[in-house]
Amino acid sequence: MNSTTVLLIIHGLLAVALLGALTHQAVSVWAPVRKPAGSFIGRFRSVPGASYGNAVVVLYLLTFMLGGIIYPDYRLEVRVVVEQLGLWSQNGAFELKEHFAAVGLGLLPVYWYYWRQPLAAEHERTRAALTTTLALIVWWNFLVGHVLNNIRGFGS
Amino acid sequence: MKPPRRFPVFAIVFGIAFAVVYVIAVEKNYALFTYHPAVNAFGAGVQEAKDGPAMYWYGWLATAGIAASVAGALACFLPESLTRRLWPGWAWVIAVAVMAAFAWILRNFFLR
Repeated sequence: MNSTTVLLIIHGLLAVALLGALTHQAVSVWAPVRKPAGSFIGRFRSVPGASYGNAVVVLYLLTFMLGGIIYPDYRLEVRVVVEQLGLWSQNGAFELKEHFAAVGLGLLPVYWYYWRQPLAAEHERTRAALTTTLALIVWWNFLVGHVLNNIRGFGS
Repeated sequence: MKPPRRFPVFAIVFGIAFAVVYVIAVEKNYALFTYHPAVNAFGAGVQEAKDGPAMYWYGWLATAGIAASVAGALACFLPESLTRRLWPGWAWVIAVAVMAAFAWILRNFFLR
């Protein structure tokens, strides 16, 4: 197993953590539970969204940096194969992934500011929209990364 | 951690400017530098491919990051009467609009 594969696995694990944090936060802002929850779904919705703010910023930066480090290997070894196989949709999906990730990076300062504690009640909608935007970016990027990884195959 | 009083103005303008400058940088290829992964070399500005593909993504990020930082810093000097009216939602509205623009720009990948 080479170093790129190790970094790719860490990149994937960080993305899972980021995905979990953002999904929890998104659900907690759009479908909050005010009273103690008994069910799994209820507990999922009742997490305090504010506690994820700093973690999301740190996880996004780490995931982004690792993605940036392994990107040249993708460009040299995976994209060529994807093009040779004529998988244009998958190729385009990855192009969107890199651009969406960049757009999300630019949102981190404003996201961090509006999620810092104590939360300002008048900015609840801003927080919800920022979280949703980042959640959509991370979900898209995670799924596309997973699909592209499957095309090339592990360790190949 | 308590951020500076003008930080929200910086953060909102940074978010807007980053997305806008980034999409322009991609479309017009205003990369601050080029990376040549096959030979592990960097070059200033936009360069032709050398012994393999040229990567501009890092250069586009740098262009957008610097321009957005400057825009955000300049916005902090605007009078408070003006910045108070700055809607924080513009940050995500512009981000979503830029993502939609990328989907449009790259549509041919999905229409072949």
